Order: sequence, then structure tokens, then C-alpha cells
Amino acid sequence: MKRELVAQLERLVPRFDEMLAQAAAPEELEAARVAFLGRKGELAALMARMGELAVDDRPEVGRVANAVKAKLTELWQQAQQRMLPRPEGAYFDAGEPGWVPDVGALHPTTLIQQEICAVLQRLGFETVSGPEVETDFHNFEALNLPPGHPARDMQDTLYITERILLRTHTSPMQVRTMLARRPPLAIIAPGKVYRRDSDLTHTPMFHQIEGLLVDRHVTMAQLRGVLTALVQAIFGPSTRVRFRPSFFPFTEPSAEVDMSCVLCTGRGVLESGELCRVCKGTGWVEILGCGMVDPAVFAQVGIDAAVWSGFAFGLGVERIAMLKYGIGDLRLFFENDTRFVRQFA
Amino acid sequence: MLLPLSWLREFVPFAGTAEELADRLTMLGLEVEEVRDPFAHLAPVVTGRVVECRPHPGADHLFLCRVDVGGPEVLPIVCGAPNVAAGQVVPVAPVGTTLPGGLTIQKAKIRGEVSLGMICSERELGLGEAHGGILVLDAGLAPGLSLPHALGLEREVLDVSITPNRADCLSILGLARETAAAFGLPLQLPTVLVEEAGAPWSLAVTVEAEVCPLYQARLIRGLRPVPSPPWMRYRLMACGMRPHNAVVDVTNYVLLETGQPLHAFDAHRLRGEVIRAARTQQAMDFVTLDGQTRRLLPGDILIWDGEGPVAVAGVMGGQNAEVSEATTTVLLESAVFAPLVVRQTARRLGIASEAAYRFERGVDPVGNSWAMNRAAALLAELAGGTIAPGVAKAEPRPYTERTVRFRPARVAEVLGVDPGETFARTTLVALGCAVRQEAEDWAVTLPSWRLDLEREIDLVEEVARFFGMDRLPAILPLVPRSLEDLAQADTSFAETSAVKAWGRSVGLLEAVNYSFVSAADMARCGLPLEGAVRVANPLSEDMEVLRTDLVPGMLRALRTSIAGGTTRVRLFEISRVFSRDATSETGVAEALRLGILLHGARFPERAPYPRGEAGFADIKGLVEHLFQHLGLGGCRWRAQSVRPYLAQQAEVILDGGCAGAVGCIRPELADAYEARGPVWYADIDLETVLRLARQTRRQFVPLPRFPVVRRDVTLRLGWETSVDALLDTIAAMDESLVDEYFVLDVYEPGEGMVRHVTLRVVYRHPERTLKDKEVDKVHGRIVAHLLRQLPVQVV
Ligand SMILES: [Zn+2]
Repeated sequence: MKRELVAQLERLVPRFDEMLAQAAAPEELEAARVAFLGRKGELAALMARMGELAVDDRPEVGRVANAVKAKLTELWQQAQQRMLPRPEGAYFDAGEPGWVPDVGALHPTTLIQQEICAVLQRLGFETVSGPEVETDFHNFEALNLPPGHPARDMQDTLYITERILLRTHTSPMQVRTMLARRPPLAIIAPGKVYRRDSDLTHTPMFHQIEGLLVDRHVTMAQLRGVLTALVQAIFGPSTRVRFRPSFFPFTEPSAEVDMSCVLCTGRGVLESGELCRVCKGTGWVEILGCGMVDPAVFAQVGIDAAVWSGFAFGLGVERIAMLKYGIGDLRLFFENDTRFVRQFA
Repeated sequence: MLLPLSWLREFVPFAGTAEELADRLTMLGLEVEEVRDPFAHLAPVVTGRVVECRPHPGADHLFLCRVDVGGPEVLPIVCGAPNVAAGQVVPVAPVGTTLPGGLTIQKAKIRGEVSLGMICSERELGLGEAHGGILVLDAGLAPGLSLPHALGLEREVLDVSITPNRADCLSILGLARETAAAFGLPLQLPTVLVEEAGAPWSLAVTVEAEVCPLYQARLIRGLRPVPSPPWMRYRLMACGMRPHNAVVDVTNYVLLETGQPLHAFDAHRLRGEVIRAARTQQAMDFVTLDGQTRRLLPGDILIWDGEGPVAVAGVMGGQNAEVSEATTTVLLESAVFAPLVVRQTARRLGIASEAAYRFERGVDPVGNSWAMNRAAALLAELAGGTIAPGVAKAEPRPYTERTVRFRPARVAEVLGVDPGETFARTTLVALGCAVRQEAEDWAVTLPSWRLDLEREIDLVEEVARFFGMDRLPAILPLVPRSLEDLAQADTSFAETSAVKAWGRSVGLLEAVNYSFVSAADMARCGLPLEGAVRVANPLSEDMEVLRTDLVPGMLRALRTSIAGGTTRVRLFEISRVFSRDATSETGVAEALRLGILLHGARFPERAPYPRGEAGFADIKGLVEHLFQHLGLGGCRWRAQSVRPYLAQQAEVILDGGCAGAVGCIRPELADAYEARGPVWYADIDLETVLRLARQTRRQFVPLPRFPVVRRDVTLRLGWETSVDALLDTIAAMDESLVDEYFVLDVYEPGEGMVRHVTLRVVYRHPERTLKDKEVDKVHGRIVAHLLRQLPVQVV
């Protein structure tokens, strides 16, 4: 008896709500009110049955009845509000806050990776991925870095075993791709890389993007074309690109690429006359390393260097992100403070 | 490599500025980090003439000087040096100068007498060890000159970063060669006059050819224990080296000048008239000249005299034959050692010597003799030595000329622009190559100091370097694509990006945590260490294990965000987790995971949002939203303990397999990360989810033409019965008229452990309008079945 009464009371709420929702005119609204809340309405009828209950049960059912009555009254008032004839402009304030769904954000390293990959995909490169734990062969040896090579000092390595390591660059993806497929090849490989290094300007994990093109008659001028397109797509068409000779064991000739400084637009000094701290007054900032695939690497993966040639490049994602968004502190990237990530919505 | 401009100019008549040189070298691949003035701190120190010097009336050993420093006033200076005298020209540090030791000169009153500066000793200026008295300068110097200028100190030193391939540029000579070639200037080597004299001597040199292709030595007798002259000491200092005595300074000077490391033994301390360069067969302890006992292992190259080792070849000499104040005769060694062995030994012993650094990268086997003779001549000139007649030498592998075939057309093929044959030839010749025409091609003989040049492509690079890589045009290639490429395209980046885009669209912030965690973090989360991959040489304990789950990093990110004042945290991360896997090429399996973390209020705590904390429904809802977003069919939930760090958890089943888990982070764990209130977490196996998503095919279903009929039923059930059980039971009946069904409402009446759950069942016939009666019949059947199958009652 008690349970049934409670259930009937509770069911009044959705039923009333439905009826109100269907009401199209003030008269229909009033009819609904009378049917449920009126003196001879459903609520009143149910409450009249309270007397049939055991004395002990009455307070509880009474509480439910009161709650239901309050709810019904609230619903009716809301419906009435909806129905009120509203003169133009009245009862309306565009200044009240809107219901803004949560705005999410991607990590700046993701934004930069997606942006770079998008540009290179438009140029015809395919995005590939590979393992972060690598063999010494893929990470070093096949890239013309045999054991004991002084250039291994350029990259402090985190080892799992003597021959297994956390990749120090995305370049092993060059090796994996060339071993798995025959040329012509055009790939980019974004991903995490690791170094045994941690200070103000180094974190033990960071992101790189590798690019590789292998075809007949590939030239260094084409490498410059692709990298210029990339840099200008990300930093704007007036950005200048500078090629400077350098050394990487897996490319020959090798070059370091600088771009005109984003802060001082390549002038080396700021509007205030201060020396630019981003480029240290040189007007240029180093952004990536590149070169023509070394014939020794082709030999390691069984590609005939007499027929095929290629170029490769590798760039640091955090560095690009720092330049593009003006982030001064590298460590912020991996602390994941909500206030940091939120800025990249 | 530090390059003093004045030293360079002894080798090449470069007349430009340091900045011009720095720019050109940088564009040649020899990046100049900065141009520095190594003695900038001495610039405020000036020359002063002591015009008057009389004893201090109130103190013995002190003098009252009046010093003319070129200004309008003559400075009164109290000086305690015994050698100060009127008429001398001396270095004066005026008030306000900070000396290398950190002392800042202040206006002082010493025993009642005013002193406006300090007359300095060599040591006080950081220019040497002499501190017995003040430094007395050339009496011809005018007063008021800046000290670096007066002493002719190096003012412009280029800090050049040398790539590992350019061993030849770890020397003044090498950088001078590049400068000469770049500016079209002649290279001028200082004249080396070796005047041999004295009694003949003999030394039997034997070497192990594999590790020492060349060993030669000269004997220099009659040396005096003198310091090297100031100009040499100042140059060494400008290059960051500390001067010692003439013998050591000369070997260091020639090392910097030529790149050839030299070693001087005290000849009287060598036993027997033999020298041998060979690998040791057994481990032994050996005291190097820095006084440290080093453990040598079989394979290390040692220099042996008649009785035992006297040096670790190319790394560091031994204490037993070290030169000292008492040394009068030295054996000057100039050798070539195997780079790999020197590198291994130096690394193992932790010795980063200038010598080892150069031997590791390769030294010029031909220039070796010039370096030895240059050092011998300097020792004769500066330390009064006599060069004994002849050279002791073993050269089992004499250097043979290397010649490479070079096709001039290759340059344009590689670069995409043609610098021209004349330019190529001029460049190669300027670099020290000999070029001979052979039919269409050139035979290029390579210089002995450029061991990095071996192949045609290396020569192409040289031409490109001097032509200027910055002159290459920018041309877009036509990137070739084949049907095979497209068929086997790697979709992982696009798929991951799509899930990240989903995360962003539902209002989550992306976190990127380190792939390594501490064993303590793992233990705190209850994650087992067995099966986890350890880093053999971690940077710190914080980074010793590759994560097997994203949760430790996500909790750290939560703590950081809370510490930053954020009370409402909604994060996700997509990254790999790692585990041991013997079947993998690397012994490690990598799998993509998605972690989602919710903490704090469900909505922002302001208008117009309702108040309330996020709960299980939020995290579960996000996961279901993702699956629907990816076009996956319905998932199933099973309350089950699958993650050690979760309480109130359920695993999610997709296509019959577990695809992850959601739940509440165990309260004590959440407390450990400073959370105030429940932390909701989802751990999703993204590999499985993406694999299923890849198999999903979207299929159109024609729109229904007939209206639906809705029926509700409210059931009372306890917490031991899942709402899922109600839905499953309806599903199992497979009633053909049922179009859909869902939970319309859940109500907790607050009496006992029960809920009132209202189900809505929607009926539809594909080909006609349903009659109430037939719906009632099916609905009745469904309700009756629920009541029979489950411990529920109709309310
Ligand atoms: Zn700048």
C-alpha cells in the first residue's frame, strides 16, 4: 500500500512534465495544472489516500508527497514562463553567460607534429611510425655510426641492454623504411626520442620528425625547396631559410638549417634596441639538421647508390613549438600543468 | 676549439675583422659560437709609472708610492711589494676594479695613508704564479695604457665548434688552412730550424703495428727549469690552458698549433734504451701523472720502457717518467695511435684529455714530423735545450697517398646547381688536394690531414661548402607515389590524431608525460615490476622503469595542476606503454594506450552551470562517447577488479574482449597525489579499439516509415542487480517489435538499498502502424519476463 502510493506519487512528475511539454497554448497549460495540482487533481486524490495508511508510514509518504508537489509546482512555473507573451527585447539579456561546452586542447608538441605532417603530406610524404625502443643497429650502425664512432658522443644514450636502447633520434625510421620497402620512397616519421640529458635546455624525452625522400636524381636544391616550404608554412611566407654546412654521419653533404628569427624578424635587435635573446643578436635560429643520404647508409640497407639518391632531415618539435608559441621554458612541456596545456585550445 | 685571431694571423695573412672571419667560418660548417675577449677582466687595469716611492712612516715593509696613470691626477698608492721602486712601469688596478681572484679595489686608508688603487703581481692579475713582488713592465710603456693592450694579450678569440669529422680543425693550423682557402690567401708555416748537436744517442723503438702505425721521438738535452715566455703563457691562457713550465707548455702549444699531441718523458727516468708501444696483455694498476692509480685492462695501448709501462698511449703519461723541475733531458714523443682503442681507454678511465680527444678523431700522419720538429726547436729556443742528432722511429705502416676518382658533373647532380668545373678544381687544390685529369674524370689525391675525405661524395661536399650551401636554389621535388604505397599506407598517425581530436572536442586537455617512471611510483599504483622494462643507465631513480601504464604520469600531472591552483582537472594522454616480450625484435612490446582523468566539478563552477562533482557516469560516458565516435557498436561493462590502482571499477568489453577499465582511483593513492575528492580514471587499450574501429563499416539503414509506441515500466531493484541486467534480459528476448529501449530514469527513494529504475521500451512495426493492444501484449510479456528472471518488482 505504502510502496504503491509512493510510486504513483513519483510517476506524477514525468507524466506532468510530458503533458506540459505538449501544451501549445496557455489554456492547455492551465488544464494540465488543474488535472494534476488542482483541488480535485491527481495529487490531491493521492494525498487523500494518506488516511488509509498505517500511522507509522504517513510521515514518509508525506515527505514524498511534498517533494512531488514542489517539483510539480516548479515545472508548472517554468512552463508558464515559457508561455508568457514576451515583448520584443524584454526579459532578455544577451549579457548573461552562455552554456559553453568544455574547450579541450592538444599538447603543443601534438599541434606542431600535426601541422608539420600536414604540410609534408600535402607535398606527397607519407607519415609512418615505428618503435621507441630500438636496436643499436637501426639507431646507430646502419646510420654509419659504428661502435666507437666519436659522433656517438653527440647523443647520450639511454640503454635497456648493451644492444637495445631508447632511440636517440627518429632516424632509425629511415633505416626501417628503406629495409621494408623499395624506392622511390617519401616518408615522414614523427615521434618521441630519448637522450640521457637533463638541464634547462634538455629534457630526457622530446619529439622529433624525420623526413626521407629516395628517388632518382634527388638534389640538395630539392631538399631546400621542401624545407623552405615547411618553414614558411609554419612561420609565415616572409621567413627566410639559411643552409649552413654541418656534419651528420648518415648524410653527406650535411647542412644545418637556420631560419630568420621570429622575435626580431632577423634583425638581431628588438624595437627597444635591446639585443634579441632568442637569436642572441645573430638574426638566425637553428631549427633542424639535414643532408643527402650518405651512400654508406644506402649500402647498409641494400639500395644501389649508383641508381638512387635521397635526402633526409630531422627536426626538434619542442624547439619549433617554443619558437612558434614563444614558450621560454622547455620543462613546462612535460609538467602538464593544466594552465599550460589550456593555452593551446 | 679556441682560436686567437693573432695566432691565426701567424699562419695566414688574414686582414679582416674577427666578425668577418666568424661569419665565413660559420658558413663553412665551422660554427663560431662567439668571439670573446679572454682578458676582458683586465681591461680596467692600466700601466702606471711610479714617480715617487718612499717608506711608509707608520709601517715597515710598506711603501708610499705616487703613480702616474696618465690621468690629470697622480695616484697615491700604498704598496707592500719589496721590489717596487721609483721609475718602474707597473700594472695598476684603479679603485673599482675587480681582480680575477674576486677582490674589488676600494679607496682605502692604510695606517693613516690614503691609497687609491693597487699595484699588482702576476698572480693577482691571474697571469702567472709569481707573487713575490709586483709585475714590472717594460719601462718604455707609456702610462695609462690598458694592460691587455700593453702586454699584447689576445683580445679576440673565436670559439669554434668543431664537428666530429673535422679532426684537422682542432688546431690553429687546420683553421688557418680553411681561412686561407676561403679568402684565397697563402698559408705560411713558421720556419722550423732543427739544429742538431751533441753526442749521438740510440733508442730502439718497437711498435705493435695495429695500434701504432707511427712512433717517433727526439732527444733534447741541457734543458733549464724555466717558465715559458709570457707570450706563450698568455696564448695558452687565451686557449683555456694553464701554463706549467717550458717543457710542458711547449708540448701543449704545439698540440694547439698543429693538432698533434706530443708527450715529453724525463729521459733520465726511462729505464733501458728501448721504447715499445703495444697493448697490454694483462690487467694492472698504473699511476698516471695526475697522481691517480688507474686500472688498465688487456687491450689498452701502453708505452713501455725497458722495465715497464711509462704512459697510457695517447691518453696520459705516467708519474714514473714525468718531467719535473729537475728534468734536463726529455724524450719528445710524436706518434699516431689507433683512434678506437684510445677512445675506449680514455672513456673507461674517465680521462678527457686534449691528447685523447685528438687521437680519437685521427691525427695527420705526415704532419707528425713537422710537429715534433717544431716542438724540439721551441724547446731549444725557449729552454736552452740542445737537440740530439737524429730521430728514433718506427713506422710499420707508412702513410700512402690516397687518390679518389671524381666526376666533376657529380657536383651539379647532387646539389641541383652547378658551381662549374673551374670552381671545383680551385677549391680542391686550395684544400691541399692534387687534381689530375683522367679522361672524363679527375684523379684527386687527398691531403694527409683530411682523413675524413675518402670518397667522391666527400669531395662534392667540400665543393658545396666553399660554393656556399646557402646559394642552393629552393626547388620542390615531384614526390613519387605508387599504388603499393597507398595500399600499404601506415595509418597510425592519422588514427591517433583522430582520437586526440576527439579528446579535444569533448573538452579534455592533452597531457604528455615521460615514458619512464620510478619504481616507487609503480609500487604506489600497485603495478608489478616483473615484466616491466628497466633502463640500464637511468638519469635518476625517477626515470628507471619504462611505464607499463599511463596512470603514474597522469597522477603526477594531476598533482602539478592542483599545485598550480586548478581544482577542476580533465586530462587525457595517448602514449605507448612498454613490457618485456621475448618475441619482439627488441625484446620489448610497445602498445598504445589512452588514459583519461577527471577530478573536481562536473561543470565549471559558475553560471549557468549546475553544481556537482564529476562521477562514474562522467568517465563511463566519455568512454562510450569515444566508442560511438569511432563507429564502434555497443560496449558492455562488467564490474570487475582489473586495475590495482582503481576502486569501484568496471572493465569495458568490446567485441567480446576487454578494451580497458574505468573507475575511481583508490582514495589513499589519490591522497598521495594531493587530490581533494574522487579522481575518476579510464585506461583504454587503444590498440584494440583502433583495430576494431578499422574493421567498422558504416552501413545505411532505410528510415522507418511508421510511428512508434512508447511504454514505460518502473522496477524496484537492489544494488546487487545491475541496470545492465535489465537491458540484457530484454535484449535476450529478441522481440521483433522492439525498436529500442533505454533507462529513462533512476531514482533512489532513500528507503533501504534500492533504486527505482524506469525503463522505456519503444515499439515499432516496419510495415504498419501498431495497435495499442498488440503493444500491450508484448510489453506485458517483457515485464513478466523481467520479473521472472531477475529479483525485481514492479513499483
Ligand atoms: Zn632574434
